[in-house]
Amino acid sequence: MSIDKEESVKKLFTAESAQVDTNKGDAYYDELYISCQKRIEELKKLKPLNNRVDFTESIEDQGLERRDFLKWASATTAMLMLPASFTPLVAEAAVLMNRVPVIWVELSDCAGNSEALLRSDGPKIDEIILDIISLEFHETLQAASGHQAEKQMDEAMEHFKGKYLLFVEGAVPLGMNGQFGTIGAKGETFVDHLHRAAEGAAAVVAVGSCATYGGIPAAAPNPTDSVGVMDVVKGKPIINIPACPANPSNMVGVILHFVLTGTIPELDSLLRPKFAFGYRIHDNCERRAHFDAGEYVEEWGDEGAKNNFCLYKVGCKGPMTFNNCSIIRYNEGVNWPIGVGRGCIGCSEPDFWDKYAYERPMSNANIKAPTGGVEKTVDEFGLGLLTAAGIGIGIHAAASAVAGKREDGGEY
Amino acid sequence: MKDKPGYVQVKRRTGAMRIIHWVNVISMIAAIITGLYIAAPYYQALIADPAVDKYVMAWNRWVHFIVAIIFDVTSIIVFYLTFFSRVDRPWGKVIPNKQNLSEFVEVLLNLLTLNRRKKFNSEHNDSFNITFFFIFHFLMIWMLLTGLQMYVHGLESGISSIGAWWPWMLHLVTDWTLPVSSWMVGSTATGANIMDVRIAHHTTMWLLITWVVFHIYYQFWRTIFWKEGDISIIVGGSKYVKIKEDEEA
Repeated sequence: MSIDKEESVKKLFTAESAQVDTNKGDAYYDELYISCQKRIEELKKLKPLNNRVDFTESIEDQGLERRDFLKWASATTAMLMLPASFTPLVAEAAVLMNRVPVIWVELSDCAGNSEALLRSDGPKIDEIILDIISLEFHETLQAASGHQAEKQMDEAMEHFKGKYLLFVEGAVPLGMNGQFGTIGAKGETFVDHLHRAAEGAAAVVAVGSCATYGGIPAAAPNPTDSVGVMDVVKGKPIINIPACPANPSNMVGVILHFVLTGTIPELDSLLRPKFAFGYRIHDNCERRAHFDAGEYVEEWGDEGAKNNFCLYKVGCKGPMTFNNCSIIRYNEGVNWPIGVGRGCIGCSEPDFWDKYAYERPMSNANIKAPTGGVEKTVDEFGLGLLTAAGIGIGIHAAASAVAGKREDGGEY
Repeated sequence: MKDKPGYVQVKRRTGAMRIIHWVNVISMIAAIITGLYIAAPYYQALIADPAVDKYVMAWNRWVHFIVAIIFDVTSIIVFYLTFFSRVDRPWGKVIPNKQNLSEFVEVLLNLLTLNRRKKFNSEHNDSFNITFFFIFHFLMIWMLLTGLQMYVHGLESGISSIGAWWPWMLHLVTDWTLPVSSWMVGSTATGANIMDVRIAHHTTMWLLITWVVFHIYYQFWRTIFWKEGDISIIVGGSKYVKIKEDEEA
């Protein structure tokens, strides 16, 4: 048995699902509290990186009160599945987030995840925190370009070697030696770019479904052979924050967890933090009662739609999708897809574009031709039919040749 | 019961076995009717009723899971009887040894020649039929495990009404269906995908329906062509085999 096969067998029998252990006992949390406290004391000794804005100041600049911040801190503590006693630690960690350097690279993507945290109606605490993290490099946001940008990235990677969190947005095209996507003045391919950036990272955070599973670029027929970060980067802790776009609250959650504990949060089998992806959307959906009652929106804009009926029949994939958006929603709790009357498209699950996002129940999803394309299906079907006919003719001819010799008849 | 002249009665199924068979039939029909509704609700609840008065999807899911659990339990009994039944222990017939293989071919030829060639003992279960049932049980086990995998996804809190051991055990026993389903569906995506399990579960339903179609056809066919009263095995528990003339003397 080759190593690959052994690995896959091992994987087969150790596959985990979305089991969540939400209460690990007092002893565990007491110990964690002490270690978090220690880590925060150490971080306090460090100076803020570069000349980042002070968190407490920027909160006030945005017209928010400290009370809002503390409300946020207790909500985030709950989201991270920590006991309420951790709230002061979480608040302290948030203030210290400018001590952790972050490098953000973009590959095959639409920058939607960056947009998600930039284009909110007004900066909320999650977004402010993402403003004050020490973002050392971000292709879309920085002013530098070309050689200047590359120099900046090289310097950041050198300076914070082994300490920075690498955020990756976008899929990694592997086809044609990675030539489907190049970046920078030297024309470095995305895959090389990712390898180089990941080498010195403390941990890699794949943000959005493209970086996690390949997402839209990897949808059938995947012409660029796109894959997710975890297929490319090996030997580094990887945290996936899928969804399209990833919820900024979950990004903050992961960074906060790292700042607070120095470790990555507990992950499920798809390397997604359990605090965010341990919930099935369906179970916390405000329309769940209509699902059980058999009250469905039959078509867009019908009487059911006006009455907020369940969207299962127009393809809602909430029952198969794990994410916390039915709880925390988007844009600091403003709304979420089902709240605006359209079904979940399963954007935080693998292969969501092909297997979830077709606006019909799974068994009615007859969009894609079974073998991958109309002409391809017709050609292969025709050839198959012709072959079957040829074999049939052959058998018949042979049988006739045999039977023809006994024309006075067989036994019956 | 008096024997038909020239025929000898062969006991084939105990009362318990026949009850299990018909319980399975009813369970399967119920599972398909409700399963299709769960996959894509094909009838509408009366809009005018308030939600509290109807519980249509919930009832469908309830029936689906209840018959699945009944199926689970009868499967365990069938599994036991396969090896330890006093009447019929069919497991020996699936071993691909020379005798079974030749019997398999003979029974197949019997079907293909429309009963113009019958060179095997039709008193007891033959290896063709047993292999056919083996395929059924294989599909059923796959159905039960993928079903329980989807079921435990709804118990993501790790607790259930009968304790935490139940979801824990379901994970232990069924998590491997995730990568296997992904492999079956031909998924190229990274990571095991619950949707692949759904697709596999739904596709297997059609394989089982196909199986049932052939099963019913074949049992009718045997009854009509062999004239040994095969269909009565599952109703009355026995069939009749014509006494060969040399044995009659």
